[in-house]
Amino acid sequence: MVIVVLSALFGFLNPRFLSQGNLLAVFQQIAVLGIATMSMTLLLISGGIDLSIGSMIGLSGVVICKMVMGGVPAFWAVLTGFVLPIGCGFLNGVIVSKSKCIPLIVTLGMNYVYYGLALVISGGLFLSLKGHFTFLGRGRLVGIPVSVVVLFLVVLAVHFLLRNTKFGRRLVVMGGNEQVAFLSGINVDRLKIANYTLSGVLVGLASLVLISRLGNILANAGEGYELRALASAIIGGVTFEGGRGSVLGAFLGVVLLGIVQNGLNILNVSSYFQTFTIGLIIVVAVVVSNLEKIRR
Amino acid sequence: MKGISFDLYPGEIHGLVGENGAGKSTFIKILSGFLRPDGGEIAVHGQKFHFLTPHLAQSLGIQTIYQENILVPQISVAENVFAGREIVSALGIVNHRETIARARRIIDSLGVSLPVEERVENLSVAEQQLVKIARAIAFEPRVLILDEPTAMFNVNETRMVLDLVKNLAQRGIGIIYISHRLEEVLEVASRITVLRDGYRVACHNHVRERVDLATLTREMAGRSVNVFQREKGAILSEVVLAVKELRYAPSSPPVSFSLRRGEILGIAGLVGSGRTEIFKTLFGFGRSYGGEIWIQGRQVTIRSPQDAIRYGLGYLTEDRQRTGLALGLSVTKNATIPSLGDHFGGFLIPLEKERRLVEEYVKSLDVRTPSLEQEVRFLSGGNQQKVILARWLLKNSQIIIFDEPTIGIDVNAKSEIHRLIARLAQEGKSIILISSENPELIALCDRVLVVRHGQIVRELTGDEINEENIISCAFGVTAGERL
Repeated sequence: MVIVVLSALFGFLNPRFLSQGNLLAVFQQIAVLGIATMSMTLLLISGGIDLSIGSMIGLSGVVICKMVMGGVPAFWAVLTGFVLPIGCGFLNGVIVSKSKCIPLIVTLGMNYVYYGLALVISGGLFLSLKGHFTFLGRGRLVGIPVSVVVLFLVVLAVHFLLRNTKFGRRLVVMGGNEQVAFLSGINVDRLKIANYTLSGVLVGLASLVLISRLGNILANAGEGYELRALASAIIGGVTFEGGRGSVLGAFLGVVLLGIVQNGLNILNVSSYFQTFTIGLIIVVAVVVSNLEKIRR
Repeated sequence: MKGISFDLYPGEIHGLVGENGAGKSTFIKILSGFLRPDGGEIAVHGQKFHFLTPHLAQSLGIQTIYQENILVPQISVAENVFAGREIVSALGIVNHRETIARARRIIDSLGVSLPVEERVENLSVAEQQLVKIARAIAFEPRVLILDEPTAMFNVNETRMVLDLVKNLAQRGIGIIYISHRLEEVLEVASRITVLRDGYRVACHNHVRERVDLATLTREMAGRSVNVFQREKGAILSEVVLAVKELRYAPSSPPVSFSLRRGEILGIAGLVGSGRTEIFKTLFGFGRSYGGEIWIQGRQVTIRSPQDAIRYGLGYLTEDRQRTGLALGLSVTKNATIPSLGDHFGGFLIPLEKERRLVEEYVKSLDVRTPSLEQEVRFLSGGNQQKVILARWLLKNSQIIIFDEPTIGIDVNAKSEIHRLIARLAQEGKSIILISSENPELIALCDRVLVVRHGQIVRELTGDEINEENIISCAFGVTAGERL
């Protein structure tokens, strides 16, 4: 609803907004964030969270470039860059489930660990892919950007996972009440580790799309993705308490942010003011959804 | 609430009883100023009002002690007693010494002992209840409303609260006493008003002479409710569960018992006697410190609920809301968690088949819910309990442990749950029923084990299962000696 109204508004203010090319551009812009949001949604719905997503993206990108610059074939570099965040996710999952610490704090710490590693590896310098591996970020399939195709596949897959699979259902129940999940015979620790690992897979994908599009990278390339993914999911109705919210909602949250950003760009609004606007949207969205809850 | 008349004299204890939803809470909220009545009049000491506000109610000397915890756990008893109207010096600085001294005076005057300077979070539930009362008394009320003051208490603690209430009445405070425990109301109240569906159905002015439990129950339910009596016969079937010398703590005494197919085994004992811990350990969510568990003639090791469930155990915990249900999820999702792997092979859940299965159990247990997608938080306590039961039936659990299955459930739903338990035993399930409600144990159980200090002190069978035996064993009093 909000999205339709906003789109109409931007279209009215600048007809170029509604052109096919621009709409595809919107989706291309949100591809990385969208995939990261799906990763965050999986965690939020199961009662977890991961604030180290951004650093995982940076670390993966830095490692890929460093390997390519060191003469490793692009394929192996990319594969390594994909597997690395999966390992990071696994590690986060192990620490969270075995230590029983609050995931918010654990992953906040891990955020610095991964960022620090990325800094060490890159030496703080700009690293480049030297023109390799552009397909994922810049390629097109029958006219549609590959990154957009990947985004849609990921959204559908996560939606299906949560709705139709046992694994997904167990995640939802664990998010709804971890004690109940445990007392119903779910191996809560193992499920958490599996889920963090799976969300690592998505982060890996997001990272590949990003590095492929940018072609060169700094250690802080992923900075802020964790918070924007969190915000998008929450705008889309996923809650902090777990168990609630839908994948499609979270996806619409991302689309909303994308449209606003793109629309403001087209209207030539300064990026400083854009930041302000996006912050406002997040707060309004959360307050409005909570007002409904209070009224009930 | 429809046209209730109610009066209260100084120094009187007026009992207020009724099923859940009878209008008791609405009535209290009107008296304490949180709700406005649509009509009628409230007269306090001759002053007439059409409605009250919380502030007005307080200044008229009406104090209400709700079930909910209103204390701040991190600060001391004394600070809690005076929270909101701290005793301050001229400069607005809190006078700690005076606060403590005055709190101590109030608590002493109640005839109880409480550590005044201790933080509230370190107190037992019963002691916290006393702090709430002390807090209300500090306002020097003329009317004190107590809503289920003993809901979470064992017999000793209840005794303490009841004595305190009588003591307060003697000081001239008018007390409205609301409780589901009718025996208590009968003991302390000089008059009893019964509410049903928002109407006042009876007001007994001479409680001592003319009222008994049966009368109150009948009036509350609106019809004569027989306590459901299960037909019992000799259980000669095979032993499905044998527990030998199980220990739930390093220092706990070993516990041994057995359970037959189709049998209902009652577990009695005071809250805190260790009775729940024994079964938590059996179900794998408390650590075991030795002992053997035999199920269907095979020795098994249970390290987690996962193991227990695999061997055919099901557990309905005593706290439905916290450990029984994911409140924000649907009936279906709550019901099928443990059995996802049984009914549907592979990775996927066939949603249509799942819906049909749950529907079948919802029908057979008569769960009243508008739809299978309804969030369980909106169901009544009895229906919530049935959803959890459906969970274990879907799992086809053969040994089902009920821990206080009817706590906080209204009279009619209670008797429904009792019938279901009896039916399950009839169908060949084996039941362990942990309960503080002795009538429940007496009506349903083939045998009752009484637990005291973590130990099974007595096994009661047949006619031995009666209130007197259960209580005397639970308290460790020898026959003849009364409480």
